[in-house]
Amino acid sequence: MDPMTFSIIRHRLFRIVDEAVITLKHVSGSAITNEGHDLMVSLYRADGSLLMGGVGFLHHLTSAAEACKSIIRRFAGDIHEGDVFLLNDPYTAALHTSDIYLVAPIHHEGRLVAWSACFVHVTDIGAVNPGGFAPQAPDIFSEGFSSPGIRLVRGGEICRDVLDTILNMVRSPEMVSLDLRSMIACNNVARDRMQALFRKYGTETVDAACATLIEQSESLFRARLRELPDGTWQSRQYLDVNGHTARVVLTMTKTDDRLIFDFTGSDPQSAFSINCTKWASLGGLFAPLFPLLCYDITWNEGVIRPVEMIAPEGSIVNCTRPAPVSVATVGAIQSVNNAACTTIGKMLAASDRYRDEATAVWHANHFAIFKFGRNQKGGYSIGILTETFAGAGGARSFADGVEIGGEIPNPISRMANVETVEGTFPVRYLFRRRAKDSGGPGQFRGGTGGEMALVAHKAPDGGIDYVISGKGARHPMSEGLAGGYPGAPNAYVWVHAQSDGTNAPVVATDGLEAIPGDKERVSWGVYPLKGRDALYVRWNGGGGWGDPIARDPAAVATDVAAGLVGADAAQAIYGVTLDPDGGVDTTATEARRAAIRAERLMQEAAE
Amino acid sequence: MTKGAEVTYLVATDVGGTCTDTIVFGSDGAIHIGKALSTPPAFANGVLNSIASAAGPMGLSLEDLLARTHLFIHGSTVVDNTVLTRDGAETGLITTAGFEDTLHVTRGAYGRWAGLTEDRIKHPVKTDRAPALAPRDRVVGVAERVDCDGDVILPLDEAAVERAVRFLVDQKGVQAIAVSFLWSFLNPAHEARVREIVRRVAPQAYVTLSSDIAPVPGEYERTSTAVINAYAGEITRSYLTSLQDLLAGKGYRGATMVMQGYGGLLPASEAAERAVGMIECGPAAGVIGAKFLGDLMGDRDVIAADMGGTTFKVGVIQDGTLEYAREPMVDRFHYVAPKIEVVSIGAGGGSIVSVDPRTNVPRVGPRSAGATPGPICYGQGGEEPTLTDVMLMIGYMDPGQFLGGSITLDREKTERLFREKVADPLGLSVTDAAIGIYRIASAQITDLIREITVERGLDPRDFVLHSFGGSCGMLAAAFGEELAVRRVVIPYTASVNCAFGLVSADIAHEYAVTQTLPADTPAGTINAIFAPMEARAREQLAAEGVTGDRVRMEWSVDLRYSRQVHEVTTPVAAATPLDDAGVARLVDDFEALYERKYGKGSAYREAGIEMTMFRLTARGLMPRPELPEEAEGPADATRALMGTRPIFDGTSGGMAEGRIYDFRQLQPGMEVEGPAVIHTPITTIALHGGHHARMDRWRNIVVQYGG
Repeated sequence: MDPMTFSIIRHRLFRIVDEAVITLKHVSGSAITNEGHDLMVSLYRADGSLLMGGVGFLHHLTSAAEACKSIIRRFAGDIHEGDVFLLNDPYTAALHTSDIYLVAPIHHEGRLVAWSACFVHVTDIGAVNPGGFAPQAPDIFSEGFSSPGIRLVRGGEICRDVLDTILNMVRSPEMVSLDLRSMIACNNVARDRMQALFRKYGTETVDAACATLIEQSESLFRARLRELPDGTWQSRQYLDVNGHTARVVLTMTKTDDRLIFDFTGSDPQSAFSINCTKWASLGGLFAPLFPLLCYDITWNEGVIRPVEMIAPEGSIVNCTRPAPVSVATVGAIQSVNNAACTTIGKMLAASDRYRDEATAVWHANHFAIFKFGRNQKGGYSIGILTETFAGAGGARSFADGVEIGGEIPNPISRMANVETVEGTFPVRYLFRRRAKDSGGPGQFRGGTGGEMALVAHKAPDGGIDYVISGKGARHPMSEGLAGGYPGAPNAYVWVHAQSDGTNAPVVATDGLEAIPGDKERVSWGVYPLKGRDALYVRWNGGGGWGDPIARDPAAVATDVAAGLVGADAAQAIYGVTLDPDGGVDTTATEARRAAIRAERLMQEAAE
Repeated sequence: MTKGAEVTYLVATDVGGTCTDTIVFGSDGAIHIGKALSTPPAFANGVLNSIASAAGPMGLSLEDLLARTHLFIHGSTVVDNTVLTRDGAETGLITTAGFEDTLHVTRGAYGRWAGLTEDRIKHPVKTDRAPALAPRDRVVGVAERVDCDGDVILPLDEAAVERAVRFLVDQKGVQAIAVSFLWSFLNPAHEARVREIVRRVAPQAYVTLSSDIAPVPGEYERTSTAVINAYAGEITRSYLTSLQDLLAGKGYRGATMVMQGYGGLLPASEAAERAVGMIECGPAAGVIGAKFLGDLMGDRDVIAADMGGTTFKVGVIQDGTLEYAREPMVDRFHYVAPKIEVVSIGAGGGSIVSVDPRTNVPRVGPRSAGATPGPICYGQGGEEPTLTDVMLMIGYMDPGQFLGGSITLDREKTERLFREKVADPLGLSVTDAAIGIYRIASAQITDLIREITVERGLDPRDFVLHSFGGSCGMLAAAFGEELAVRRVVIPYTASVNCAFGLVSADIAHEYAVTQTLPADTPAGTINAIFAPMEARAREQLAAEGVTGDRVRMEWSVDLRYSRQVHEVTTPVAAATPLDDAGVARLVDDFEALYERKYGKGSAYREAGIEMTMFRLTARGLMPRPELPEEAEGPADATRALMGTRPIFDGTSGGMAEGRIYDFRQLQPGMEVEGPAVIHTPITTIALHGGHHARMDRWRNIVVQYGG
């Protein structure tokens, strides 16, 4: 087709997605959507195949495609202009019940020509625990409202009965109502703009441009795969939950211009809600694949075609109903993200041309903590600790990871200011900063994670409660690459205050050890934050790249001076000895590094 | 030209990245224009050159002109430039212990992706933060803590402050210190105490308190603002001082006013203490200028588009009001200060046109040939085809008439390289390829403006489009038609629009108090918040010589629905001080504004409405220069017709014989029908079939469409 018209239509499709995202954020007005960017908007062709994925939580792009296809099957012959369908059943297409998809058909001259889809993480879905993540859910039935497909809007009119029924089942119905309305508005904008595009250029031309766009992505992606070495790469993720460890094993095989991701060997589905369904696993693979391999290719169906996934039924990455899945997005899906990042990274690292595109794992481990309770204004609030969006960057072949730099599957998140949190919840931070020794050691160091501590402050009920679905406290999950070490694991600690008879406000700025009281590790369930008790959270750093004893000793000295690496770790792991004023003791360092090499040889000999 | 001794002048000079523009208004009603290259880092020299270039054609020396000048208004890119070139002071930061990393952590990924194009955001492995202006080893935490009510939880450790100052100054060689504590905007006592200690221990150090420069919630942005201000503070102060000395040396005896990013003026002495206020004041002045013209022409809704060599900038004026940027940045650093929203993207005449070798899809930008080597046709070594080169090939530029004939454009070389790099790979003729690229550029700008207006809940069809800058006129009628704006205006002062904006501004001081109150707060409580701000403002304005009916107090309040994040600054329309009916009207106005901006059904009234910030803009009205108005004469423009040549006509979709006009020969009332081209000394206005252009009584070109 005419390359000029194609270029114009392609640009307009990008902008349509942007405009729809703006609308979604505007109408929603919620913190998780606006700050966390926990959302996604994308366009699909008439058959439900992905046409244009926007920048949002990327593991939804393929799942929402399946949601469109599922609606097409379920409502065949009964899909009309102005309809909007809701789908949030994980066993049909969704990731978990609180990430609601609204998918809307787009008609032109009476014909179904495309779909738009979006999601936000709704404030509540009526699960056993507030906020959507339900560590106490034994099965899907305890995870709140779920639908394999229901019409929410008919011919442009909201179905009040359906909406009221959903709102009747959730906490904070007003906020959920707003979430749903924001998604309807978002789909309306996408539909209006798409219809204008079809009107201007005609169905045939737009369809041809869409087909070309998908073919181009496919041929570009296949060409890139052919430039990369053939081979098989593996990653194992250990996912600890409430004292149990589950394993996700991924073997990626690349042959010519095809990629197979095989989860054979992964553990059976868990009793805990960290499981994910097969659509979620597929999305979990693509979330890092799009930005790592297709950063300069349009994200659509063409990228999906060369990829095949094998996920054994009944496993943690393809669980069967009624296994609980509400923590999937920060559970098994995130392990799939990590494992795919590692196998893709290993493949890229094996290529001279693409080595600088490889990265160790970023932010391997969300710590979904939802605060809930009465706030200082007397109202009831539910809110996520947005630090969970502020992961750490993995190290690269040419540079350290970005300290507290975010994550790959959700490229444009951010965390709230301390003052924003303290102004809306009755809590006070003792400290929030980068965590020493959290970045995975390596020739290039993984980005540091963070640490923070909270106490209740001027709370009308003496404090609040929180739901925690914390994993990754036992095993590090942000794998290193090319000999780099993983980042440090997470830690969640309930500090029980000891009475000092004064009832003075707790003040401690120097980390966990400085907070007085008995320390109890917590990770899974609902806990109080009351009285003078504190909640301490440390979150993981990114994986390292290359051998730590190959790191420039001056860089280690700088890290020690900045408080990012401890002097003992410098000595033990990096083999760098510092003199009393913080400079590198070159002689001692050379000796120490030689000793480390010798120890390693001994280890191998002993095996 | 009259050179009567009684004529006095108002002189306004805007220093931009490339050019320093001057506009001179005489008391006799004449307007004079000057232009010179900017001279970084010694910008003051370019200012004098620019004023001199205006004086020359007036038959005056620089000294003559300045001696008869009663007011000098100035905008400068000095602060932006200091940050972009990393040329500021060695800067340290004193902050609350436990939160020393706030500046460097940038609210997580935010500082890693903010300010990047979508292409780069989609490629996270190649992204990093910009290194902070205050390196981490120059950040010191001191024990102190204030809570969300402003109550002191932990008193300031003054001994620790003194140690911190000595450490920063003696061991780290710091010249400027920023101070930013949690919740300091509610209780600034600890920060104020730190300033006293610095004054005693290190009196030579430049100090910025976050509670002074940005008394608003959000510690990351507030801290970042304080650091930028400290970093650029001394350079800004010495720049303004030396400029005033230079002008005085050339005989200027009047006052100097300096433009701020929020579109108001401050006396130079005050501007010198608020470096962040000057960031992007030039583009802000451009929007102010567009608003002034819009007011004059009776247009309350204006999209101001400026396209030069490297960037495309858009500002929106709605119902006569300007919008402030929500998350302003300079380079890749966030700051918080009232600043007129001007969206900028890397698209200009210098944008490089290329064909993706993998897909054979043509694209415009994002790379730019900039000023050097520039477009191929300028003959300054450019080898890559740019948008400007495309304009030459579709007949919009006359090889012999560019910039008044000062440069002869190299058509042969341009065509050869364009054929080789763009047309041949696409399998098209040079003309067809050039037409296609023009269509793509026009469509992309259409998409951008539509997105910007949608973001504000606006419909471009309600707007008049003002076109500024050297490249905009060739595209404006095309994308204006696709956006279906009401009409396109290419102002007479388009070439010096930012300087023009300087003389359209008032003195303005912005004050704000952060306090959260319910919507049903009694009027008396609100009045009590504004009263001390007004008293301070009156005192300030009086010190600047502004009193009586030149003083305007404009109240506004930020409101939001509880539990939603969007705050909307709502002007107080009722008489002030308020009565309870006035408060009720404010809340109604907020709801209407909210729904207009964020869409129908976006409001969550059930949770209640809160007021979060109380803002006062205190204006000292400045006399407006009168734009000379001329009677409109006959429509016949034959006297300006220079000839005809083939030009691209978007309406027929191909090349057509277009009439070529000389702007300097047009008179008010004359009309031009597309397809046609009007050459002005600095730009070209392209008209397609069905476009009607008319010169109005201020010598603006006004373009309308079809029947």
